[in-house]
Amino acid sequence: MAPKEKKEAPAPPKTEAKAKVLKAKRSVLKGVHSHTQKKKIQMSPTFWQPKTLRLRRQPKYPQKRTRNKLDHYAISKFPLTTESAMKKIEDNNTLVFIVDVKANKHQIKQAVKKFYDTDIAKVNILISLGGEKKAYVLLAPDYDALDVANKIGII
Amino acid sequence: MAKIKARDLCCKKKEELLKQLDDLKVELSQLCAAKVTGGAASKLSKIRVVRKSIAWVLTVVNQTQKENLRKFYKSKKYKPKKTCAMRRKLNKHEENQKTKKQHQKERLYPLWKYKVKA
Repeated sequence: MAPKEKKEAPAPPKTEAKAKVLKAKRSVLKGVHSHTQKKKIQMSPTFWQPKTLRLRRQPKYPQKRTRNKLDHYAISKFPLTTESAMKKIEDNNTLVFIVDVKANKHQIKQAVKKFYDTDIAKVNILISLGGEKKAYVLLAPDYDALDVANKIGII
Repeated sequence: MAKIKARDLCCKKKEELLKQLDDLKVELSQLCAAKVTGGAASKLSKIRVVRKSIAWVLTVVNQTQKENLRKFYKSKKYKPKKTCAMRRKLNKHEENQKTKKQHQKERLYPLWKYKVKA
């Protein structure tokens, strides 16, 4: 048993050493990453920018934060109390507001909902000749425009 | 409502100040509605007081915020800074300011777009 082991022990190291030498020779001749390197040929007529590394922003200080100047309070300026506006309150269940020009229908809906605790079906908008934005706010059927107007104080 | 003084506001915390700001803004909206319906003279004169109080509260809030930021960034290397020239220019809002008259004029005659037949 012992002599056989002895014989086997030196043999593998020798073959291993031989394999190592061959590998080293091959890498010297062909380069280390030769099997992964493909020769790139330009196949298409257009040249597209190759994808490069794009790093995420890691700012050294946070960006300037400005407060929202068009908050709920700034949107609706005041309700209208003209004769036609009054007619709309009685007949069409709508309230008429003069609103900031930069406000859109969604913002107006949220602002009026918040302030007067009502539900809103629809908002129509126009910009008058004077440059003011007028919003016709149609309330939901279970809310009465007259009651809301009384609460605001425009009746 | 008594006139708001900055001395009283300085001691308050930020949440309290913001809550007070909300109350003032609600009051302002009510006063504006009263103005439209021809309210009492006392209400109409109150509008100015409320507007100025809102301004006071915002001033205190922003001033304390800036002061705290300055303290925070004092020892640091990378402060929120642009370039020297940028800091001296008019900012975007200031550049776009127009008188109402100019605004109306520009609105009447905007730049027309023509379609050209190819």
